[in-house]
Amino acid sequence: MDKNFIHVINLTKSFYTQNKKIEVLKNINLQIAKGDIYGIIGFSGAGKSTLVRCINRLETPDSGQILIGGKDITMLSKSELNEERKKIGMIFQTFNLFDSKTVFQNIEYPLKSSHKNKSERKKSVLELIELVGLTEKTYDYPSQLSGGQKQRVGIARALANKPDVLLCDEATSALDPQTTLAILDLLIDIKEKFGITILMISHEVEVIKYACNHVAVIEHGSIKEKGSTLTVLQNPQSDTGKIFTKVEQQLKEEWILKGGVV
Amino acid sequence: MTFYTHSFTEIIKSAFSAETWRLLFPALISTLYMVGIATILTLIVGLILGAILVMTDKDGLTPIPFLNRILGAVINALRSLPSMIMIILTLPLARLITGKGYGANACIIALAISCIPMYARLVENSLLEVDKGKIEAAKSMGIDNFKILFTLILPESLPSIVRSFTVAVIAIISMTALAGSFGAGGIGNIAIQYGFNRFRYDILIATVFVLIIFAQIVQMAGDFGAKLILKKRHLL
Repeated sequence: MDKNFIHVINLTKSFYTQNKKIEVLKNINLQIAKGDIYGIIGFSGAGKSTLVRCINRLETPDSGQILIGGKDITMLSKSELNEERKKIGMIFQTFNLFDSKTVFQNIEYPLKSSHKNKSERKKSVLELIELVGLTEKTYDYPSQLSGGQKQRVGIARALANKPDVLLCDEATSALDPQTTLAILDLLIDIKEKFGITILMISHEVEVIKYACNHVAVIEHGSIKEKGSTLTVLQNPQSDTGKIFTKVEQQLKEEWILKGGVV
Repeated sequence: MTFYTHSFTEIIKSAFSAETWRLLFPALISTLYMVGIATILTLIVGLILGAILVMTDKDGLTPIPFLNRILGAVINALRSLPSMIMIILTLPLARLITGKGYGANACIIALAISCIPMYARLVENSLLEVDKGKIEAAKSMGIDNFKILFTLILPESLPSIVRSFTVAVIAIISMTALAGSFGAGGIGNIAIQYGFNRFRYDILIATVFVLIIFAQIVQMAGDFGAKLILKKRHLL
């Protein structure tokens, strides 16, 4: 049996500005195993965000296939796509919580178009709130929460329909280091509990190192290298990979020169 | 009773005399009636048109560029007409619908037709203020487009919609006064009949006073409503 759950095959995507064609994704191929945490790292504008947005078709790819559990996302009709999207959660850098709704209502929102009745919904929402550790904030509004708490709500909301896949679009980039760690721990915990497959994009090596088992380095719209996080980040072959690890190394050396302890 | 024949204090005293207000009161009721009905029509149709503008936009949730352009053009055309010309233009339509080309009901149709396009544009602006990221979040949950409009975009932009509604109601009040000169009755009619034709400055001042109070009350209610919603969401 194929252990890979997500297949991205020859994916291409271009944007058009006035009369110029910009190739954002060129012939992308990825295989992601079920229950894996897969990282995609690259500089701003490398195309990583577009890639992850193609997976739940917030962007429509020009060509190529995206198979999730054998189903081709690119071929689905509008209503099939909406059903499939319920199985793909997504969290965002800017959280995108709804200011008009409380924490409870935010998490309940995706459940409202499911078959669950009110008391079943309430039960699931309260469980999710407990899972992300926000029981005391149940009836608060998003504007009363800190960044880390907002992302916890984002995660709970993304998990409401019990998805198979969780897409994280720079989910920790707006958070401080300590909160980033707490959020990553939560994601790892969720992966262990539910066996969910997580696809995480980031421009921070630390995040990838901490959470991901596999990583792909993306540069100018193509994947330059991929493999287990350990192999790729210990001996990077691509320019992007080298720069990322070199910058990190340099910072560390300068720190030691100043008399700091690693 | 002009400023040439009477002193300022005499005019003011007369403006707030019982006699003046006996005259004004039925007109006030008639104005309230016209503003009320026109407001309800504007609110409903304006909201629908504003939502259609946003949804059918080429970057909207259900793009129909052709419909969007036509609706946009019609709204722009209606908005470019001065209120007085709009009233004259809609009189035949009013006659067709209400059977009379004058009176309060005829005026309501003119009021609605000239305020709906303005409110539709204001609603459009309010709805466009909703962060694209929130809409994408809802899309990523597999929520269908109309549900996103009703359960997300409208609630998120509610404070802004309330504020633009206030602007529209005040515009309706001022237009109702104008419609008085076309036989619609109401405060505007009194102002013209007495204040202008008979040089009754006292009554003119009383009508101005009433209109200002109307506008103030509406503005205060609108601000209060919007603030209440924002406070509830802890955004203020």
